[in-house]
Amino acid sequence: MSFRQKLLLLFAATVLTCVVVMAVSVYSTMRASFEQANLDRANSIAAEFRSEFQRRADDVVRKVDAIAAGETVQRIALELNRSVAPAEGAAPNSSGYPSEARALASQQQLDFLELVDHQGTILSSAQWQAKFGYPEPAIASSTAPAGAFLKREDLPNGPTLGLFAIRSVPIGEQPLFVIGGERLDQGFLSRLDIPAGTRVLLYQNLDTKWNPQSLLDLNGPAAGADRIAPLVEKVRSSGQEAQSAIHWSSDSADAEVFHAIPLFGSDQHSSDQPGPNQQLMGVLLVASSRRPLIELQRRIVSTALFVGGIGILVAVLASLWFAARVTRPVVSLAEAARRVAAGDLAAKVDVESSDELGELAASFNRMTEDLLREKDRAVQAERVAAWRELARRLAHELKNPLFPLQVTVENLLRAKQKSPEIFEEVFSESTATLLAEINNLKTIVGRFSEFSKMPQPQRRPVRVNELVLSVLRVFQAQLTANNRIHVRTELAPDLPEISADPDLLHRALSNLVLNAIDAMPQGGELTLRTAALDGASAQGATPDRVVISVSDTGSGLTPEACARLFTPYYTTKQHGTGLGLAIVQSVVSDHGGKISVESTKENGSTFHIELPCSAPQSSQAAAED
Amino acid sequence: MKRIALLFLALISLAGTAQSATRPRYGGTLRVAVQSAPTALELPAYSSPTDYWEMAGILSLVADTLVTIGATGRPQPALAVYWQHDSTARHWQFTLRPGIKFHDGTAAVAAVAQILAALHPDWNVRAASASPSPDLLVIETENPSPSLLAELALPRNLILTHNSAAIPIGTGPFRVAEFQPGKSLKLAASEDAWSGRPFVDFIEIEFGKSLRDQSLALEVGRLDIVEAIPQPAASSRIRTSSSLPIELMALVFSSNSKAQDPRLRDALALSIDRKPIQSVLLKGAAEPAASILPNWMTGYSAAFPTQPNLQQAKALLVDSHPPALTLSYDARDPQSQLIAERIALNAREAGITLQVSLSGPEDLRLVRIALPTPDPALALLEAARELYLPAPALRGNSVEDLYQAERALLSNNAVIPLFHLPVATAAGPRVRRWAPDQLGSLNLQEIWLEDSR
Repeated sequence: MSFRQKLLLLFAATVLTCVVVMAVSVYSTMRASFEQANLDRANSIAAEFRSEFQRRADDVVRKVDAIAAGETVQRIALELNRSVAPAEGAAPNSSGYPSEARALASQQQLDFLELVDHQGTILSSAQWQAKFGYPEPAIASSTAPAGAFLKREDLPNGPTLGLFAIRSVPIGEQPLFVIGGERLDQGFLSRLDIPAGTRVLLYQNLDTKWNPQSLLDLNGPAAGADRIAPLVEKVRSSGQEAQSAIHWSSDSADAEVFHAIPLFGSDQHSSDQPGPNQQLMGVLLVASSRRPLIELQRRIVSTALFVGGIGILVAVLASLWFAARVTRPVVSLAEAARRVAAGDLAAKVDVESSDELGELAASFNRMTEDLLREKDRAVQAERVAAWRELARRLAHELKNPLFPLQVTVENLLRAKQKSPEIFEEVFSESTATLLAEINNLKTIVGRFSEFSKMPQPQRRPVRVNELVLSVLRVFQAQLTANNRIHVRTELAPDLPEISADPDLLHRALSNLVLNAIDAMPQGGELTLRTAALDGASAQGATPDRVVISVSDTGSGLTPEACARLFTPYYTTKQHGTGLGLAIVQSVVSDHGGKISVESTKENGSTFHIELPCSAPQSSQAAAED
Repeated sequence: MKRIALLFLALISLAGTAQSATRPRYGGTLRVAVQSAPTALELPAYSSPTDYWEMAGILSLVADTLVTIGATGRPQPALAVYWQHDSTARHWQFTLRPGIKFHDGTAAVAAVAQILAALHPDWNVRAASASPSPDLLVIETENPSPSLLAELALPRNLILTHNSAAIPIGTGPFRVAEFQPGKSLKLAASEDAWSGRPFVDFIEIEFGKSLRDQSLALEVGRLDIVEAIPQPAASSRIRTSSSLPIELMALVFSSNSKAQDPRLRDALALSIDRKPIQSVLLKGAAEPAASILPNWMTGYSAAFPTQPNLQQAKALLVDSHPPALTLSYDARDPQSQLIAERIALNAREAGITLQVSLSGPEDLRLVRIALPTPDPALALLEAARELYLPAPALRGNSVEDLYQAERALLSNNAVIPLFHLPVATAAGPRVRRWAPDQLGSLNLQEIWLEDSR
């Protein structure tokens, strides 16, 4: 992965992380705010319900007061007191008023109204006209509660819940009770001012067990009551407010949060202890739809995703531009470094920025300029050194034959002048010496000439193993002269043919073998190996290179000697010219191969020649030319 | 002296009033209203007693039966002036009133046999043409018919024909002058009625008027005779009259009722407290009853106890889970709903759920039927037919036989008798000589009007 890609990935990850963190933060804050708003709304509706409840309670009390103070009730109370009082415990006189309560209730628009005598016997009932003569359990004592209260009321079609008030009409010794009330059902709920997205349900706690028909909404029995049952049961068992979210479908927007509020009434059924024995009469459920919240959340999320996506896209593009801008000098630096590494010390980095990268580029440019200067200086120094070495070698090589020549010529002059009698003898001996040394000089000059005139390889298919064996055959006599050197060959059987000049390769191998023989004056083992190498290490791949190794068991080379071994005119021999290995390297290089040496002191040396099977394009073209 | 003079003037005034009250006047129109709204002037076959009594009363003004029977059960001559039967009560011979004619002038005597034969195909009815008198009528029945006179006194045996407009033509004191189906009926006095011309010239009957509207109209003087719920008159100028209890209110189980368990039916019967219903809802006018026939007719109704027994009712239902039952009632009867609800309330005390409803299949029904004759045997037969009960098996004519027949009729728990009810009417101050009989007949032909000419 490139530096630009890394930088781009880093930028994108950073932006994405920021967007995600921001979105999660906003979402969490928003969710908490909505939950609080829902709770506030539920509390507000509950408060409104209580307010409406109290208002309706006051209304019921006012209506019952009006009925109790009305002419009809006063007349009935008077008639009851005037009539012959039945003996205590005798059946009450409940005749004559079966329809009075209904008429009075209709006048005051009350749902419930009963006229009850002092013994608690219903004289007239508006809600159940046929109930006259039956006892009314709400009249448990002579003192009626001042305010309104919740009470279960039995009707022909079943029980219901009502908001009641009781007033007594104290005429005579036998008061008449007026019990009036309003139905607490969907009609009551419909009068509540319910905000949009909210609905109110009422559970009339009329049975000992959960009854879905007692759960009412504005239209009557509420749908899906069984889903709400656990919440109602929780309030029924604990008597405390409770809250729960109910999911109506797989769509979370269909969920509602229910806030359940218990409604208590006075337990008037307890005749022993009339009063505020709290009894759970109903459960008010305020349901807030989560749809607005969910839809807003979805809008925010979709908007965040859109904006985030756009932001990420912009960030990626910006990152691309920025990464390109940031990495362009680095890429230039890397390219320049590669060129420098390849030997092009003239490579320059074109960076004009004034930041650290600009400074780095300038430093790089200075460094390459310095390197170039040092290289030129080194080349010049090396060239001078080479010339000096050449001069030294030449001097050394030439000095050896020149000194006998000088001595011989001086011997001739001395013999001419001091001993003419032996001049002829001396002359003939000196002449032979002079010719020998002159030949020696010619040989030296010829070697140098030969080195300077290394021919280009004339390539043709060459079987390397045969070449190796032919070289060994040349040195057969020398090697077997006194059985000092033992020869071992390890030749690869399936070695491919290579494209090479067999004469040059023969000469190079001969130099290596000769050096090995020279390195083992006391005898040893000479080993020649061939092997095939392929470019890919995969098994079965076609070999594309051949390695020829020449090993000796001589005294070995020092690392410094190994480093300079292929330098022309460098030799470790007493009488070597230092051109042998240089010629070998030149031959190998001309064939597109490379030569290396492995050696440790006292453990011998091994030279490896690695040659391509086919000729390189450049050398092939050159050969064709 | 002055006081004596005033007393004298008052005596003169009273004498004048008494003289005018005892001297009937002819003329005027009697205004009557009824609840029913018939579209045809025919006796309802199976109907509410209100419809029955109203139409029977109307047709009785237009036509006559051979005989009539009063509250004492004694037959009175009508179109027949004399009758006799053999010892087996199978062969009856009637001597018809001579020279009577229908309102259209045709002779009625000849048509009587034809009309009765059409009404009773199982009878052998013939005019005794071979006899010396042309006014003799012979009726022969297959079985002994000791109640034949009571049968002939029933409104369904009125001797009448119909004209092309299906208007009844009879021999009664009034003839149909104008009929607007469902709205009104105008009767005109028949000048040639065998019973004599009635005092009023016309009777205008308004159909489909509720009891409340009738009462209000009577109060303001727009009506003269109305039906009434038995109760003391609100005004001293208005007189009310109640007949003997000639209606039966009862609970009748339908054939497909869910209450097939006799114990459930017994428990329901035992749970009903009739007294509060009688005293409050029926204003004390009805008689609690556990028998089909009223006590005035048989004298043995005390043998059928009416007291509730809630404990026994509950005991009957121990270890049983009675189904919820639907009780329906006659929506036209203003008292029925309240009574039904009260019965449901009583039943609930015993653990029986009664849902009072007018819709859906009913398990039992609160009915009110007319007992159209004072003859107990015939009344029992008619009641059994109205209540879809099997015909009573009467072994003889004794009270014991009647009791056994009625007891057997009630033993199958198909009917729970509740009350025997009278028929009440009210008359305004204009009406004079108003004397409805104990069987509910208004006797409008006897009425004359105070302010007539």
